[in-house]
Amino acid sequence: MTLTLEFTGNATVPVEVEGITPDAIKSFAIAEIEQLEVFHGNEQAHLADFFKVSGDAASEKMVWTGDLTGVHWIGAKMDGGEIRIDGDAGRHIGSEMKAGTITVNGNVGGWLGSEMKGGLIHVHGDAGHLVGAAYRGSERGMNRGTILVDGNAGNEIGHTMRRGLIAIGGNTGDLIGFNMLAGTIVIMGEPGIRHGAGMRRGTIAFLGENHPELLPSFKFACQYRPEFMPVLTRHLASLDFDISSLSGDESYNLHHGDFLDGGRGEIITKA
Amino acid sequence: MTKQYFKIAGGYVYDPVNGLDGQVQDLWILDGKMVEAPAADVKPARTLSASGYVIMPGGVDMHCHIAGPKVNMARKMRPEDKRRDEVVKRTARTHSGTMGSVPSTFATGYKYIGLGYTTAFDAAVPPLSARHAHEEFEDTPCIDKGFYVLMGNNHYIMNCIAENEQARLKSFIGWLLGAAKGFAPKLVNPGGVEVWKHHQGGDVDGIDDPVDHYNVTPRQIVTNITRAANEINLPHPVHIHCNNLGMPGNWTTTQNTMNALEGHTGHITHIQFHSYGGGDADEDTFHSKVEPLAQYVNENPNVTVDVGQVMFGETTSMTGDGPLGYYLQNVYGTKWFSADTELESGCGIAPIKYRNKSLVHALQWAIGLEWYLMVEDPWRVVMSTDHPNGGSFMAYPQIIRLLMDSTFRRDVLNTVHPEVVNRCQLADLDREYSLGEIAIITRAGPAKLLGLKNKGHLGPGADADITIYLPHENKQTMFEMPRYVIKDGEILVEDGEIRKETFGRTLYVDPGYDPDTEAHIAEWFEQYYSIRFRNYPVGDNYLHNAEQIPT
Repeated sequence: MTLTLEFTGNATVPVEVEGITPDAIKSFAIAEIEQLEVFHGNEQAHLADFFKVSGDAASEKMVWTGDLTGVHWIGAKMDGGEIRIDGDAGRHIGSEMKAGTITVNGNVGGWLGSEMKGGLIHVHGDAGHLVGAAYRGSERGMNRGTILVDGNAGNEIGHTMRRGLIAIGGNTGDLIGFNMLAGTIVIMGEPGIRHGAGMRRGTIAFLGENHPELLPSFKFACQYRPEFMPVLTRHLASLDFDISSLSGDESYNLHHGDFLDGGRGEIITKA
Repeated sequence: MTKQYFKIAGGYVYDPVNGLDGQVQDLWILDGKMVEAPAADVKPARTLSASGYVIMPGGVDMHCHIAGPKVNMARKMRPEDKRRDEVVKRTARTHSGTMGSVPSTFATGYKYIGLGYTTAFDAAVPPLSARHAHEEFEDTPCIDKGFYVLMGNNHYIMNCIAENEQARLKSFIGWLLGAAKGFAPKLVNPGGVEVWKHHQGGDVDGIDDPVDHYNVTPRQIVTNITRAANEINLPHPVHIHCNNLGMPGNWTTTQNTMNALEGHTGHITHIQFHSYGGGDADEDTFHSKVEPLAQYVNENPNVTVDVGQVMFGETTSMTGDGPLGYYLQNVYGTKWFSADTELESGCGIAPIKYRNKSLVHALQWAIGLEWYLMVEDPWRVVMSTDHPNGGSFMAYPQIIRLLMDSTFRRDVLNTVHPEVVNRCQLADLDREYSLGEIAIITRAGPAKLLGLKNKGHLGPGADADITIYLPHENKQTMFEMPRYVIKDGEILVEDGEIRKETFGRTLYVDPGYDPDTEAHIAEWFEQYYSIRFRNYPVGDNYLHNAEQIPT
């Protein structure tokens, strides 16, 4: 039995539901869950003011439904369990999550999985800017875990990312892997410009047909068939991420950079 | 109308200035001041029974960074630091605020008063930004505060020294303090910041390196400003951050700076950062040189110090020492802010994390403690963390425990980098501070060094700033949460809760100057500054609640 939270409010003023995660409320009765504190703009309110709560929390499975575009921080800091979001949702989904899975059958706003420490997020629609990023001022962004976006995503994906895997099925904006410390970012579609600026280590792989002109602080190294690529693609396929555009016979161009920051990062493009 | 006396009855009073070391005594307050006990038949309007409690004057922090442009820049620069900490929530009586290593203005006031501190001095404000500091003081509740004015790299001062214009120098110092409504002259890496502004990665290597263009040396800056400030009878003549902060082998610079005072009264600040042996930036030779420096302080009564204790954890380094900020950024690879304040000073800000497993950091921690334990006269060493540079002022209770409990000190020493014990003498020091000595290094001593006659004691005429503690075996627990904190005769804090918000006073000096020099200053000023001379001084009407300390 799952716990269902159906949004009944309107989305003009943001509703923030930080901390209402499957692991945190598994022992709560419905009446208690209804009284959980949420923010409506700058005012404190109760979950039941905006959501119809039904089902059972004990199984650590949660479904959020309705027009959730104005609902933010769903699954933030979650530490286990499952969340399914049916419909579009707001910003900071799965921010700082440690474990568990979040599946979104719709689009989400910015800061998806920002500074996440573990777990899996799979968005079947589009995502906004700063997927897996560091919050402003932070030393590092996403630190472990996996974020999969089947659709498009915005700018600064993996900003200051430290570990983990981000895969975007569609097109993206600019500055992917900005300031990246380590980790892996895979882009299947067409990206914007100026990727990997300031990256120290880590891998950004552009597996689509069109790839961007790289920054002058990146140098071409070689054309090759990296041994890790079949491992990576098999792993993505096992997570139900679409890699059907790849035959497995591709060669790739390897570029090192950013040489303004040591040059130990790599950008891989389809040859 | 009868006088409304407030009596604090029956506590153990630690008031070193008036010779009280835990004796039970009643204290009488009238109109925010301490008074003699009135005639026996006078009944107080209010009595607070303090029987069984320890009573001390309110704490005085003589060196912290709590207001002004660099503090505010550090707040803006470290959102991640603020995000991690609990917010200070608004209550019916108090404003909200944020913490992190650089708390917001309101939070700063609440946390200081909550610890029993009633007075604090920001240690480095460029006079050009004095208004900013005063504005933040207006929003820093509960405590009295003031700031020191950066002078060690001021172009006019270096010109005066190069041209040997002693009278003009004296006049300028007086004018500048009055113009900024500051409290004392502050020298930060005298001359070194100017060299940094001229050369890539530049700094002076020692006290006798020339500052090019001005043709003066740091030694000349120290000597001349110290002499001039002593001659105009400032309550706290000069507050010196020596050259070469943090560098291995810098202890000779520190000793030379003490010598450069030439017998005049001078205060060397956060001396922990200036007591290192070793050389050529080689970490392997880094060791403590507290012993010879502490011996110098013991033998030379004109020199006083505050420690600048390093505490383990994450904090933000902020300084008027531009090259230091650059150095830290190179070492730690963190974000960095640098500023050039026109003809006056520089600034460097960088996050820093002190780790107990790092030899350098652990040694810094140990060297700080050595200073408290090796200066024989507690009146000449003052507790400070150089908040937030070495750690937060919130760490003071823990430092008190480290000083009062040698077993605890040894236990902590055993958890840090094992090489530390071979490079300093901390393991051999058994001295434990008494409550009376703690009262000296946290209130009576700093008040005396600052020339604040109404602070740091509870004799008649003193401000009724009082902290009342519940004695506890664990001194950290005891000092972390005073039972009551009284400011100007009003109970502001009870059991850690703010009962009332007041706004304290801004303490400043206005020593006056020779009006004949004003034209010369104005001429120079109009030539080089980005603002007009007449817009520069902070007017009396700018300070809402201020107290001028006589010079």
